Amino acid sequence: MGSVSTNEIKVGMKVEVDREPYEIVGNEFVKPGKGQAFNRIKLKNLASGRVVEKTYKSGEKLDLADVEEAQMRFLYKESDGAVFMDEKTFDQITISDDLLGNNSQWLMEEVPYRIVFYKGAPIEVQPPTFLEMTIVDTAPGVRGDTASGRVMKPALTETGAKVQVPIFVEQGEKIKVDTRTSEYVSRVN
Amino acid sequence: MSLELTNHILGRSQSLAAARTFFAERGLLEVDCGALVPFPPLDSNIDVMSVSSGPNQTAYLHTSPEYAMKRLLAAGSPDIYFLGHVYRKGELGYRHSPEFTMAEWYRIGISFADMIEETGQFITHFTGPLPTRILPYRDAFTLYAGVNYSDDSPLALLSAAKRHAIDLPENAQNWSRDTLLHLLLTHVVEPKLGQNEMTIITDFPPYEAALACVVEKKGEIVAERFEIYIQGLELANGYHELSDPQELRRRFAEKNLARIEEGKEPYAIDEKFLASLESGNFPDSCGVSVGFDRVLMLRYKLATIQETLYFPRN
Repeated sequence: MGSVSTNEIKVGMKVEVDREPYEIVGNEFVKPGKGQAFNRIKLKNLASGRVVEKTYKSGEKLDLADVEEAQMRFLYKESDGAVFMDEKTFDQITISDDLLGNNSQWLMEEVPYRIVFYKGAPIEVQPPTFLEMTIVDTAPGVRGDTASGRVMKPALTETGAKVQVPIFVEQGEKIKVDTRTSEYVSRVN
Repeated sequence: MSLELTNHILGRSQSLAAARTFFAERGLLEVDCGALVPFPPLDSNIDVMSVSSGPNQTAYLHTSPEYAMKRLLAAGSPDIYFLGHVYRKGELGYRHSPEFTMAEWYRIGISFADMIEETGQFITHFTGPLPTRILPYRDAFTLYAGVNYSDDSPLALLSAAKRHAIDLPENAQNWSRDTLLHLLLTHVVEPKLGQNEMTIITDFPPYEAALACVVEKKGEIVAERFEIYIQGLELANGYHELSDPQELRRRFAEKNLARIEEGKEPYAIDEKFLASLESGNFPDSCGVSVGFDRVLMLRYKLATIQETLYFPRN
């Protein structure tokens, strides 16, 4: 991979620091009038999500990280992971349950997921921000219980996600969910 | 009118007028130094924009009007000021813009202390009155960074940086003392300066003298250079002006060596400027430059220098 100077760095670029991949999330130029210039660079670790700030001399180079992204469709679950297929190349890979983490609750067949690879190995799985899914279990709504505004109740979706839904939403209905917050967005007709 | 005339846009015009009145009332003459110069001002840490000025001809945009103004002083001009644009390559950030407005002035026969006083008056003319504190460079580093700038080893400076939670790349172990001191200055010391006051840093180390005289003070050689800070923002840089052309030539060579070590191109020396000092007619004087846009940032409470401009750069 090539390298990039602190002067050319843009937010969103992927770099490798101490053998780990980071995304640039900020770059501040600091310089005394007559002195050495520095760049205070904010970096988000692509594996852990942790944000750090490092100071470089201006003009120093950072290694670009061998990071690639692919849109991949979820095919099926295996005993210890999930199989996805690249939309363009039709390559299939298995992503471990460890890496899936909380995202295992958003797996739906035929939905494209954004998968980030570092040096060829997957490091991050991102579901679409909004997903439409069917409620498979929720208690029936009780009429007259809406006086205090938007009253919510727990519901289980077809993917196994637990979502709070308004009491008027019934089992078997399709809803739209925000996967970042696990929040109900709307009913889908 | 598509341009929204907010306070600070009108304020720039009003402030420029107020600055000119400030200087006129004190008997200074405005000088109109051209921005396009044949020789780049020489500094190890300031890069110059070069432009193609004709077939196979290169000229430079001045980074300050210092050499031209000193040539005018050597030619017999009275006290003079410049209020206009200067250019610095690669400087863009919350507090930097590659083109910015500088107020620079020279006072013949004035004392170093009086020059500091007048610079403070100029700045507070825009920011409103503030108590002032004179803080020697050495004390600023002791007080805020906990280091002895002249005696501590690079390793000690590096561990001071770590103590102040500055995260550095692995190769920082190879950084020079200079670089580490500038790191502590920008990251640790500067943010502490000018809080509810105007802090004036004086008695710079001799290698930070730039174009200032050096004197012995309490058994230590220090440069008669000052910088003024408000709210962590560096606003002014002033000197008791060095008039010794040989010493200046030596410093220029040093600056060029530092440039080469950093992998930067060395700059040709402006012989006409040195010759003006060699004439022996350069008067004993003090000079200062003020970052005018930064003064506007304080006056109009703007977080970035770009907000002081009519058309901010991103």
